[in-house]
Amino acid sequence: MAAYLLNLFALWAGKKRVFYFLSLLFVVISGCASQPVLEHTPTVKKSDPYEKINRKVFVFNDYLDEYLAEPISNAYQYIAPQFVKNSIFNFYTNLRNFNVIFNDVLQAKFNQSAKDSGRLAVNTSLGLLGIFDVAKDLGFEQNDEDFDQTLAVWGVPEGPYLVLPIVGPLTLRGVPGAVFDTATNPTSYVGAPIQLLSILNARANAEGALKFIDEAALDPYLFTRESFLQWRRNLSSDGEGSQSLDLEELDEELDKSALSSTSTLPKLRNSFKASSLVFDKTIYHFEQAVEDYRQAESKLNRFKK
Amino acid sequence: MFLTKIKYLVLCVLCLVVFAVSAQEPLTARQVVEGFQSQLLAAMKKGKQIGYSGRYEALYAPVSDSHDLTKIVRIVVGKEWEGLSKEQQEILVATFSKYSVASYAHNFKEYSGESFVFDSEEETARGGVVVHSHLVIPNDKAVKFDYNLKEIAGHWKVINIIANGVSDLAVKRSEYTNILQHEGFDALIAKINEKITIYSKQ
Repeated sequence: MAAYLLNLFALWAGKKRVFYFLSLLFVVISGCASQPVLEHTPTVKKSDPYEKINRKVFVFNDYLDEYLAEPISNAYQYIAPQFVKNSIFNFYTNLRNFNVIFNDVLQAKFNQSAKDSGRLAVNTSLGLLGIFDVAKDLGFEQNDEDFDQTLAVWGVPEGPYLVLPIVGPLTLRGVPGAVFDTATNPTSYVGAPIQLLSILNARANAEGALKFIDEAALDPYLFTRESFLQWRRNLSSDGEGSQSLDLEELDEELDKSALSSTSTLPKLRNSFKASSLVFDKTIYHFEQAVEDYRQAESKLNRFKK
Repeated sequence: MFLTKIKYLVLCVLCLVVFAVSAQEPLTARQVVEGFQSQLLAAMKKGKQIGYSGRYEALYAPVSDSHDLTKIVRIVVGKEWEGLSKEQQEILVATFSKYSVASYAHNFKEYSGESFVFDSEEETARGGVVVHSHLVIPNDKAVKFDYNLKEIAGHWKVINIIANGVSDLAVKRSEYTNILQHEGFDALIAKINEKITIYSKQ
């Protein structure tokens, strides 16, 4: 199953060209990079309470990738002609569409599910079991849906960030999501050779993203975590504003920290508020006293009369 | 006759004044982004011929002019900024600026028919502007680029780029603050310089 998940991640990341500056979007594949991962004493972050153990698993995955997955993948990249690699990639992407359509329906995206069904039908028939992506030329874009996103749409919180051995980065919500996706993908029910090829295809397609992490990340663990979480949140919300407030929040935090470190204004403001409350109470009591005095005076006048 | 000439002269002077005033008007947020994107594409188009150093030179001014690198660094290091000395802050901004240009020069090294398309523009609650655009890549899926800009001293400057929902600023912030807290300032500068060297060699 783990291997299968690896394949899924890579299919999500299915880009032929990942040299672009922000191909960090596709860093989710196996959560490993051949850079030393630092043994920090982590500051506990809300979304990553298990950072200490996660970092250790990340290092393990890194070694596994460096000494096992990467050499095999390099051999595959070297031996297989490009059109064969493209065909294999298309074949597995097409199979994944069963799962995509299922999740379209579960998320009530009926229009999209119709398009994805059309994509599957065209590529399975005209595209010769999916080895040619004919649907793309007809304007059917490949959509990314999975059960983790469905759970997000249903309001299930993502839970803590996890790095699992071999599998790589996930959130707690992603665990049942991955089980469901595995069960709904035809590759799970065929023989070992097809599954092994699926892993090989996954790792080969992850190459660009892993290289990008190697080049860009100062701390590969944090780089992967942040990119993964943001990327998943963006997918779950279909790109609707998951990051729109990001900068505002960061900026606000900066302003707050600058304010607290450079001035005592907030304290003054609070003490002013407290003082004004006391002042309000004093005025109230004074007014009460005046009222009492007036009443007493009128009583006295009446008494005099 | 003389009056007609005077009229034309006045008209010409007015045209020149209008032109001069409009030429001095600061660029809008959208113009800043589109200007930067076109310069980036121009560098990509001649990327192979001029090599890394050529692209670095070609992109240094466009990146420095369109991005507020000091503000970006301040946000990226968060509360740690206040703990740095004036000299350290200057070193960090200078190193980060080099790194930003180097990463553009390294990652946008060639041209294969890509183009940027403007989608929309929206104002944020705190007076900023987000310019939504996407990069069209032939035979591949488009990449969504959202540029967050702030008006600083009358000029719009990019302070964050969000690509397909992943904020460059947030990723860097997580890394930089952690390194500053656990390894210190010198280690952070050494790591950034190491990346610049890697970019320059590939």
